[in-house]
Amino acid sequence: MTRIPPLLLLAGPGVLFILVTLLLPLLAIFMFSFWRTESYELYPDWNLDNYRVLFTEAAYRTFLLRSLIGALVTSLLCLLYAWPVAYFIARHGGRYRLLLVLLLAAPFFTGVILRIAALQGIFGPGGLINMALGIFGLPPIAALMYTPLAATIGHVYLFVPFMVTAIYLSLVNFNFDLLETAKINGAGPWRAFIEVTWPLNWIGTAIGLALVFIPCLASAVTPRFLGGPSATSFGMSLGQQFGETGTWALGSAMGVVLFAFSLLVLAVMGFTVNLKRSGFTGMGAR
Amino acid sequence: MTRADDRPASLSLQSVSKHFGPVRAVDGIDLAIGQDEFFSLLGPSGSGKTTMLRIIAGLERPTTGRVLVRGQDVTTMPPYRRRIGMVFQNFLLFPHKTVAENIVFPLRMQNVARAERDERLLWAMKLLRLDGLAERYPNELSGGQQQRVSLARGLISRPALLLLDEPLANLDRELRAEMEVEIRRYQKELNIPFVYVTHNQEEALTMSDRIAVMRNGVFEQIGPRNDVYRKPATAFVAAFVGQSNQLTARAEMVGPDSLTLTWRGHRLHLPHPGGIKAGDDVRFFIKYEDIEVTPERTAPGNHVGGHLRDIIFKGQTANYIVSLADGSEIIASASSRDQKVTIGEAVSVTWPASAGMCFKT
Amino acid sequence: MTSVGDRAEGWRRLAMSVLLGLLYVFLYAPILFVIYASFSEDIVWPFPPSFTTDAYAELFDNSLYSDALKNSLIIGLGSGILSTLFATAGVIGVLRFPSRRRALILIAFLAPLFVAELLIGISSLAFNARLLGLPGNLFSAIAANAVEGTAFAFLIVLAQLVRYDWQMDDAAMVFGASPLRCFWEVTLPAIWPSLFGAFLISFILAFNNLEISFYNLGAIPTLPSVAWGSLRFGLGPELFALAALTNGLVFAVFALMYVLMRTGIVKFGYRGV
Ligand SMILES: Nc1ncnc2c1ncn2[C@@H]1O[C@H](COP(=O)(O)OP(=O)(O)OP(=O)(O)O)[C@@H](O)[C@H]1O
Ligand SMILES: [Mg+2]
Repeated sequence: MTRIPPLLLLAGPGVLFILVTLLLPLLAIFMFSFWRTESYELYPDWNLDNYRVLFTEAAYRTFLLRSLIGALVTSLLCLLYAWPVAYFIARHGGRYRLLLVLLLAAPFFTGVILRIAALQGIFGPGGLINMALGIFGLPPIAALMYTPLAATIGHVYLFVPFMVTAIYLSLVNFNFDLLETAKINGAGPWRAFIEVTWPLNWIGTAIGLALVFIPCLASAVTPRFLGGPSATSFGMSLGQQFGETGTWALGSAMGVVLFAFSLLVLAVMGFTVNLKRSGFTGMGAR
Repeated sequence: MTRADDRPASLSLQSVSKHFGPVRAVDGIDLAIGQDEFFSLLGPSGSGKTTMLRIIAGLERPTTGRVLVRGQDVTTMPPYRRRIGMVFQNFLLFPHKTVAENIVFPLRMQNVARAERDERLLWAMKLLRLDGLAERYPNELSGGQQQRVSLARGLISRPALLLLDEPLANLDRELRAEMEVEIRRYQKELNIPFVYVTHNQEEALTMSDRIAVMRNGVFEQIGPRNDVYRKPATAFVAAFVGQSNQLTARAEMVGPDSLTLTWRGHRLHLPHPGGIKAGDDVRFFIKYEDIEVTPERTAPGNHVGGHLRDIIFKGQTANYIVSLADGSEIIASASSRDQKVTIGEAVSVTWPASAGMCFKT
Repeated sequence: MTSVGDRAEGWRRLAMSVLLGLLYVFLYAPILFVIYASFSEDIVWPFPPSFTTDAYAELFDNSLYSDALKNSLIIGLGSGILSTLFATAGVIGVLRFPSRRRALILIAFLAPLFVAELLIGISSLAFNARLLGLPGNLFSAIAANAVEGTAFAFLIVLAQLVRYDWQMDDAAMVFGASPLRCFWEVTLPAIWPSLFGAFLISFILAFNNLEISFYNLGAIPTLPSVAWGSLRFGLGPELFALAALTNGLVFAVFALMYVLMRTGIVKFGYRGV
């Protein structure tokens, strides 16, 4: 009897599952992106028209650029806000650490749509904030309603928990005693952060950035409800190709473009991560 | 030899090697250990001691070679079937189990009845002075206490073979001395082989029947403890075991069992280990305790003159550092009680012609 | 005595705790709004307040919502269990049995994090509908959700297990514990909180997933797809009522956890006093 290597036995099923349910469909839309749709049907005559449309029609470029800028801004905001919060939980959370983190996840029990509707109910024209302003005879804050700012607030709302969790997961593996060493050797708190804490938690931070950037880039629901009339995002347009307009081939090409950007993010991450300098020693342990 | 040669060895390794990439942690070891033997592995850090224990335990599959327990080949047998006990260098106590639960773990794995379990637990706790700590968790113990729990867990299982990886490293001197005696007595009582890893030579010399000195994955020497101490097989062993003055010179006259050389103008006589020709460069080692420092020359044998530079107090003994005319130094150790010499004085350094070991360089 | 450094440290700590507090306010304000709105007569213009429990009555009358809830639970549980199993086995494999293929396996498990939900949804729709000719069904929804869930679960379990000392298992095995016994006695007690966390996260993600489930389910209702569908006519107040009930349950569980942690009965993996 030949023994199955334990690594294959343990990791094999998961890898196979992901190959079948993620990679195959992605390959399928990659294929479809070179096909043609006519009255809701896909025809396999191979061509590059879909990509030509995507790269020549100004509308798609605008959608993409809009989504990219939105995703970048949101990622940056989340990064700045999440670090101190995650740091606090990991460092000072004590026995309630797990509870504090789960509290970040609990809002996800309420569906995205309801939460966005609730955000509208708070920030929107008839919402809590503007109504309160009205009571004091003040004009409503227009920037909070149906603007890119509103969409960005929505995105931060939806995705900041991912960033906090990613950084937190990194920080709980961080040996805070190292900071003592840095301080004894004369590094002030900020210096110690830059020299020790940040580099040793960069992988977790980078994963957090990806967890915010990628869904944000593909976001469809949030801009639709919060962003106002001129907020059509790449994701919204993509969703329409598979819904209302039924142009599956063009939609597939858009999906491929979206995926290309994910790969780009992955490549940038891989470029900045030096495993040897990440303190990621656990992977080598017996 | 401490074991009768007609009995099969209780544990034997046959040209066992373990390579981690380019590192040869263990490099072609042959070894046979008898049933009643207390066997020690002595060696500097990184010499492959832990790796060898892990191979014996089955935690590491050797790159080449075979491991046999009582004549049975266990090379591919998983660790949990080997009935071996082990005390780990880094304790490896289960953090979610109390001291008592940690100690009885091996017994639970062997399905020992509860009554006997409790009885043996009491015995082990008492042996290792752990009374009162039964309900604590490992993170509530001091380093030495953790080590004793780990030792108790190894001893309680009454395995076919017990491996101990520096089990006393974190104990205070008194407790360590006590444990050395207890462990050896327990080994003789159980009549199972112990393989004991240490880099503390005193420990190895006190407890063992046989000692192997390991370096870079190979045995430099293996033999009864007296031999290793008195008749080192290589220059490395001579330097590593005991405390010696290390000197170099050129052999001048070579007799059948003695050899004469000139060292910094002094004519010295040493035992001849064989294999050295006149004109060879040699390293020789004189143990501190073989040297006598006196105000005037008293004994026959080798003699050099110098003046006493310092006395390093060591407790029971003291090291006498003698500077010779050309600036080199020789160290002797003697009782610290009745010092016959004073610092700065001219002294005579002597040692018998039968002391010292020579090796070709 | 407090030094200047201590005081500065204290201020930083206070500032961070304020940021954390504000984050919770930000995250929970809409949730509180949902609960508030569920009792309002008019959820589109809920101010000034006027209370009613009509929404709850209708919720229990209409079988659409119980179907949707049931389907959401099935998807959540199915995907949560699958994800946790795949991820745990994968993490243990990767950490315990170093191999040159490890980097590839790591990439495979984390890859779904780099594929947006929308893309997972539409690509499996395209694959199932156009290449396999499958109609929307619960199984493909569970599978598609579990892809994302597995990646998240993998990340969570990995982050906790890199610290785990596998020599602990060596110790158990030397003393006679078989691999399964060893997992049960030594590994699991140490890692269960992270498995629990991984299950919870993958459950939540799938339970309320809109973009993956929507494209994989066709006409089968789940809570988010019902919400999506009813948007055209304005959100039904029943959905607010259901969300309020769910949140009530979640808060109750958290309160229970808090009490358990407070009294130290269950520590959820926290070691220390
Ligand atoms: N898993 C491993 N991967 C690579 N090299 C290893 C591994 N384990 C041990 N080594 C190397 O093998 C050699 C022997 O290591 P080992 O742990 O056996 O030494 P040791 O004699 O027990 O030392 P110490 O007295 O410090 O405990 C060392 O050079 C070590 O760096
Ligand atoms: Mg060692």
